[in-house]
Amino acid sequence: MKALAIPLLLAGSLLSHGAEVTIPIEKYKLDNGMRVILSRDSSVPVVAVYVIYGVGARSEQKGRTGFAHLFEHMMFQGSANVPKGAHFSEVESNGGVLNGSTHPDFTDYFQILPANKLATALWLESDRMRALNITKENLDNQKEAVKQERRLSFDNRPYATAIVDRWPLLAFRNWQSSHSLIGSYEDLEAASVEDVAKFFKTYYAPNNAVLSIVGDIQIPEAKKLVAAYFGDIAPQPQPKHPDMTEPAEFTPRTEVHKDAHARVPGVVIGYPGPVRRSTDYYALNILDALLTGGESSRFQQNLVKGKQSIIQYESNLGWPFAGPSDYKDPGMYAMFLLYKPNFSGKQIVEQAQEEIARVQKEGVDAKELERVKTFVRAFRIRELQGAMARARLLGQYELFDGSAEWLNKEMDRYMAVTPAEVQAAAKKYLVPERRAVLEIVPAPKAQAPTEGR
Amino acid sequence: MLKTTLAVFAAAAALGAQAIDRTKAPATPPIPDYKLPATFETKLPNGLTVVLLEDNRFPLVTVRLGFLAGAKFDPKETPGLSETTAALLTQGTGTRTARQIAEELASIGGALNGGAGPDSITISGSALAEHAPKLLEILADVTRNPAFPEEEVKLRIANRNQELQAQRSEPAFLAEEKLASVVFGSHPYSRIAPTPESLARIDRKALAGFHATWLVPNNGYLVLLGKLPPRAETLRLINERFGSWKQGQLPPAPKPEFPAPSKVIALVDRPGSVQADIHVGRLAVTRANPDYFPLMVANNILGGGASSRMFSNIREKQGFAYDAHSELDARREAGIAKAVTQVRNEVIEPATRAVLDELNGMIKGTVAPAELTRTKNFISGIYLLRLESQDGLAQQLITTKLMGLPNSFLEQYTARVRAVQPEQIQNVAGRYLNPENAAVVVVGDASKIAKPLEKFGKVEVTKAQ
Repeated sequence: MKALAIPLLLAGSLLSHGAEVTIPIEKYKLDNGMRVILSRDSSVPVVAVYVIYGVGARSEQKGRTGFAHLFEHMMFQGSANVPKGAHFSEVESNGGVLNGSTHPDFTDYFQILPANKLATALWLESDRMRALNITKENLDNQKEAVKQERRLSFDNRPYATAIVDRWPLLAFRNWQSSHSLIGSYEDLEAASVEDVAKFFKTYYAPNNAVLSIVGDIQIPEAKKLVAAYFGDIAPQPQPKHPDMTEPAEFTPRTEVHKDAHARVPGVVIGYPGPVRRSTDYYALNILDALLTGGESSRFQQNLVKGKQSIIQYESNLGWPFAGPSDYKDPGMYAMFLLYKPNFSGKQIVEQAQEEIARVQKEGVDAKELERVKTFVRAFRIRELQGAMARARLLGQYELFDGSAEWLNKEMDRYMAVTPAEVQAAAKKYLVPERRAVLEIVPAPKAQAPTEGR
Repeated sequence: MLKTTLAVFAAAAALGAQAIDRTKAPATPPIPDYKLPATFETKLPNGLTVVLLEDNRFPLVTVRLGFLAGAKFDPKETPGLSETTAALLTQGTGTRTARQIAEELASIGGALNGGAGPDSITISGSALAEHAPKLLEILADVTRNPAFPEEEVKLRIANRNQELQAQRSEPAFLAEEKLASVVFGSHPYSRIAPTPESLARIDRKALAGFHATWLVPNNGYLVLLGKLPPRAETLRLINERFGSWKQGQLPPAPKPEFPAPSKVIALVDRPGSVQADIHVGRLAVTRANPDYFPLMVANNILGGGASSRMFSNIREKQGFAYDAHSELDARREAGIAKAVTQVRNEVIEPATRAVLDELNGMIKGTVAPAELTRTKNFISGIYLLRLESQDGLAQQLITTKLMGLPNSFLEQYTARVRAVQPEQIQNVAGRYLNPENAAVVVVGDASKIAKPLEKFGKVEVTKAQ
């Protein structure tokens, strides 16, 4: 859970919920099926508007890797009444910020604005949901931008290619999960205007979206605006989710990746994770905090300090492209460790496994578990300070769980996790027999990735 | 807290479901006025400045304790001493081991971390509100009595050496390093990181010496905010922990002397790079300089946000880059203005030209009223967003102190942005954004991009270390 010096495309968020903090939630559905969540907070005059669509990289088809992300770029290229570039300028000229991001199981778009600019955000989001402007010129231009993003964020950086292109292949057997989220140059090139139009119609329908609005709003007025802007967007047949089933048998696997840009060796270790919201899900998230959460964690004290082998680490359920809040099974609990070159990758894997084995054998004492829970609770309260973070979690929980209310309930589940449950989750999931390992070895002479142009 | 003075939704309230004209952007009221929450400020007899702010939105307290003790105070032969001192504060005291500190902090839902920048060291942290007294107790202990245990010092230096290696694999780090050395010359701002040699010189004694010299109350600023105990109780707690702390005699700061900006084209050769990182930069001003606000607005027009000129032209129109932006990094003694993008090797020449054209455009072209208004709104809105969290608020307050700015700086911020006139922008652009005396730093594969770069002048090539 510690931030690494290498920024990833989509860093996972951490553990979820609110304890003493209760977030007001008003929830309803428009006739066209769009789910709406409103949450009023008048302490700062800002409003966060968040739209999440139930489509991500795991919905892509063979030959079109990277398409969900390419499409996300197209969402900023203009719509029926919003000229190209105007989405940016309208938000920024009204004092706001905006962005979008593509994940394995969803794609989201957000803007945070001064609170009296709510209508601006709703106008922009509804116009592109209703009538996106799909042209060849925009598509060609954004293909270039995405390829450039791939060069910048992956091909030219240490570890990133291994993590985005190799790790999914090792972690999963089903193509839906194992293909590259950023995509290949070849597939990006092959995307056509027709593909974009079809994807838009299939997935960017109001009935496949959740809109959440958090901030200094008046609920009745906000409802009127939402109805006026989104109410008459036509629904589409509910899109089918591809089969993501993984084979029941998981054979342990190891791969060594030579990295032309890395100077410090790294290793990714992962284990297939539990069902979202199951008892094991909460226990494993608590276990993760115990192993890697903060200065007092076992990895920090025993490996960074004690054995002095690991330099930096990050881990969570869903790593690298999801965190506990947007984890969806099948998925992995995975960790990424950078270590000193006087150790071998094999030794590091053994050391990490030994830490896990201690929990499996000895369990967890009540005092340590209490401390970990306090850490988790405080972390969540800090996270909830931002209106955007609240909007995002509300939207994600509504989309994934059908219940934004989890935001106010899940901390109770975390606080109820017992030492026995933590031990049981460690024994059931984090075993060498169900482990994938990707060693990333610095190899200055290795061929830098080339483009398939 | 942070209440707006404007009636929100005046426009929206009148709308019926059918009354919307989708063909144009909705008319909305101007960005609401807002008041910064009131701060309470005092100074302890030993010179420690204390700033308190009540913020009861979340059950947390947040702290910053800053000292003018940053990297610029490193001895010439020991860059990295300040940052190592900062990092080790929380790694053991006279009465607590590093592990005890970590466990006690976790038990109060808290954290404390020491970090150093070019001008200052700041210890940052927070905890659940009911544990404010414990947080202050630990904060005082790590600040006043760090032990710099031998084992922790050795570990930190070994790990920092590895981190340095990792940083050196990042093209952006190499570009920043070269740019700083050209722009800041012999001033310590020119060194952005330690070296293996300088780290080897750092030991317990050097750290304790740096700490004793610079981390003294008369050089410090304490910002504490959140759901605090009653004022008198908070002050009593602060006095209890920091009141007996002895003043120190501060040595003079290094002279703020910087080389006259001149045109340099520097290529850092990174064989195998699949793209080129372009950083064009020049010496600029501090926040206290009257040119700061016009230059900050100019910087945002040039490359702040997704409707800026660099983003619109270099990314959206030309498709040269994913990222194209500009920055104004204003430090206590000087600043640096820079334009940054990363492009594929084949377009290095037109892309470099595009960056230089945008800089020239700021000097020669005019700023349209709509562009200026949009940019001012953007800056004002972002400023509002920074106040959402306790961390955001605390950062604003401590930065004001550490940059030597008056308390009015934050209060007047938005008004001063709004007061910037188009001719001021052209004026500051001519003086601070002129590519004729800027450093053009490129990091990439020299075998692929050196030739095209020569079109812009003499190219000095160095190897990535």
